[in-house]
Amino acid sequence: MAKQNTAKNYLSGKEIRAIAKANAKEMKRLEAYKNRKADESEFLTQMKKQENILEIEDLHTFFYTEQGIVKAVNGVSYDVPKNAVVGVVGESGCGKSVTSMSVMRLIQGPTGQIVDGSIRFVSNEYKRDEKGNPIPKAGAEGEYEMVEKVYDIAKMPINEIHRIRGKQIAMIFQEPMTSLNPVFTIGQQLDEVTLLHVPGATKEMAKAKSEEMLRLVGIIPENVYKAFPHELSGGMRQRVMIAMALAAEPRLIIADEPTTALDVTIQAQILDLLQDIKDKIDGSILLITHDLGVIAEMADYVVVMYAGKVIEKGTVYEIFQDPKHPYTIGLQKSKPTMSLDDSTELYNIPGNVPNPINMPAHCYFKERCAKCTAKCSGEYPGMVQVSPTHFVACHLYDEENNNG
Amino acid sequence: MADEKVINNVAAPVYDDEALAAEYQAKRQKQIEEDFKKPIDPDCVLEVRHLRKCFPIKKTVTGKVTKELVAVDDVSFKLKAGETLGIVGESGCGKTTAGRAILKLHQPTGGQIIFDGKDITNYKPKQMREIRKQMQIIFQDPYSSLPPRDTVGGILSEPVEVHKIVPKDQVKDYVLDLMDKCGLRDYYFERYPHEFSGGQRQRICIARALSVNPKLVICDEPVSALDVSIQAQIINLLKKLQREMNLAYVFISHDLSVVKFISDKILVMYLGAVMEFGTKEDIFTNPMHPYTKALFSAVPNPDPTTKMDRIKLEGDIPSPANPPKGCRFHTRCPYAKEVCKHITPDYKEYEPGHFAACHLLEKQD
Repeated sequence: MAKQNTAKNYLSGKEIRAIAKANAKEMKRLEAYKNRKADESEFLTQMKKQENILEIEDLHTFFYTEQGIVKAVNGVSYDVPKNAVVGVVGESGCGKSVTSMSVMRLIQGPTGQIVDGSIRFVSNEYKRDEKGNPIPKAGAEGEYEMVEKVYDIAKMPINEIHRIRGKQIAMIFQEPMTSLNPVFTIGQQLDEVTLLHVPGATKEMAKAKSEEMLRLVGIIPENVYKAFPHELSGGMRQRVMIAMALAAEPRLIIADEPTTALDVTIQAQILDLLQDIKDKIDGSILLITHDLGVIAEMADYVVVMYAGKVIEKGTVYEIFQDPKHPYTIGLQKSKPTMSLDDSTELYNIPGNVPNPINMPAHCYFKERCAKCTAKCSGEYPGMVQVSPTHFVACHLYDEENNNG
Repeated sequence: MADEKVINNVAAPVYDDEALAAEYQAKRQKQIEEDFKKPIDPDCVLEVRHLRKCFPIKKTVTGKVTKELVAVDDVSFKLKAGETLGIVGESGCGKTTAGRAILKLHQPTGGQIIFDGKDITNYKPKQMREIRKQMQIIFQDPYSSLPPRDTVGGILSEPVEVHKIVPKDQVKDYVLDLMDKCGLRDYYFERYPHEFSGGQRQRICIARALSVNPKLVICDEPVSALDVSIQAQIINLLKKLQREMNLAYVFISHDLSVVKFISDKILVMYLGAVMEFGTKEDIFTNPMHPYTKALFSAVPNPDPTTKMDRIKLEGDIPSPANPPKGCRFHTRCPYAKEVCKHITPDYKEYEPGHFAACHLLEKQD
């Protein structure tokens, strides 16, 4: 700790220029890869497990800054099964949002780039003829032939991403005020979704669909359809965001801290709504939050992230009743709960998250860990399987595994 | 019971809202006047009586206020040294305004603030200067409440120099000692706020508040902007400092589990008014007001095996500029009755030291 602090904590102009030069080269290469024209066969792939809807494997998303490369997501792998809620939990800056942004390909370039890894997603889309028009289903009015394709989102050129973004995967953002457009009415913004994603949609169809969606999220459409975002309260705005995400009938909803900006009573309403909707649309939810309580109530599977890596993943019961990683244990102990005895001192994890630019080679949690051993100074621990669904990245469980 | 039924069948009782409001106002005015005459409790660091703060939202051309927003309406409590009062409520319920009005960062519209045996409600800014070093505030956002162009040493020395806490030549030693107490290393003295993480900055804010040896610290959501693992560090630090320096805290937060951990007494606010007040044990083991119950049941429980039976609150908080008539909570209350829509419930002591304002409780007596 002391050694790290006495080291100089600034860069000279010369060093910054050297970094900028190296970064520029790398960013140019990745940007060209992102904007290339590619045939569909290049990014079609196969799922590893049929029951999954999304598989993230060894994803690396870096930010090329003037201070150096920030490895925001550094080798993340997890799966989202069909009809399940997967909760991703971690502190701010651990890369949980960047992972979800990578899935949507919303990483702001040229600084932010997906460097390596694959994101496989099962897309259920219209079968199209040579001209790109959807083929109508014989005998059914307004319905089209569907086909399932598996895309590798990380390898898709950016101009092909409209096939899935919004239509197949929808996102609910944290801050409902800033993610709604203040100059358009709620109705206009909702209609746009249907007009964009449904072939041959008319304005009347779009309006009917929007009103149906508003009813689904518990809003009376007459009052809200013609309103502007600033006329609504925080909870209502978040409902509109959810309605917007649902309008295109996505198979996967990414909810990035959907309740963080809301009050507890409103949060309870929104969480109930998400739970209902999951059953109604028959899809999956990827729920990103830092609130362990929300995860425990909502999720089936939990992924715990720390400093750009997955350190533990498993079912919600495994993570909450039998946590393995010292960080997961500490996180749960340090959260004051309603049932806790408050005469004692609250458990706390000492120290801070390490600097994301100069990550050490050993386990990132070593400096803050109470259980670290000599082995922890070695290389970064690999994922150890504890049970069929429970994985942990910690040297403490290496030996157990070897002995058993 | 039988009589009531008959009456209900014949016609619902008719309420004259204006007359009721006037009656309520008169009753309250009398109560306030009576309370103002009460002697000052010498044990208390802070005593707040019927605090009220209004903000003008509509003015005529001549500057006459035609419409007011009542942000804090009739808040009363007592606080002793070494005690913590937790104020909980949803956003917009006036908890921050109450905290600021106590410090006189907002001039209160009505009520009395008695600090350390003196009624400071009508103190002039010059008189307040002496009081300021005894009452301090820690703000919510540690990123925007530190001056970016000053070093940590400068930030912490300034209040000490201004208020002449120690002789000039001892200021640095004093500040270093303070930094040590708050878990800051001595070589941080020369550093700037942007070099620190959120938790460290909040420690600087705490050190700055404590640099003048205050008796009372208002903590306005000090941990909401921090991560869970850092939150625990800051809460423990606040508790440790309270023990060491015998501080009184007013802890404002929307996070019930944090408030439970740190407070001795709890005040539950809704739309500017106090719904319930009592010791922590009272409020958490025996919540009386339906709003308190709903608030508790809305907190997600980090245990996947227990699914809670929620008291669901429908709808949003009404606008504080236009609060509902009668009981403010009746629009969202699952147990609301006809009487709740018209008559404002009295704020009464139902158990020793446990106050609440609800019509449903009166029925039980």
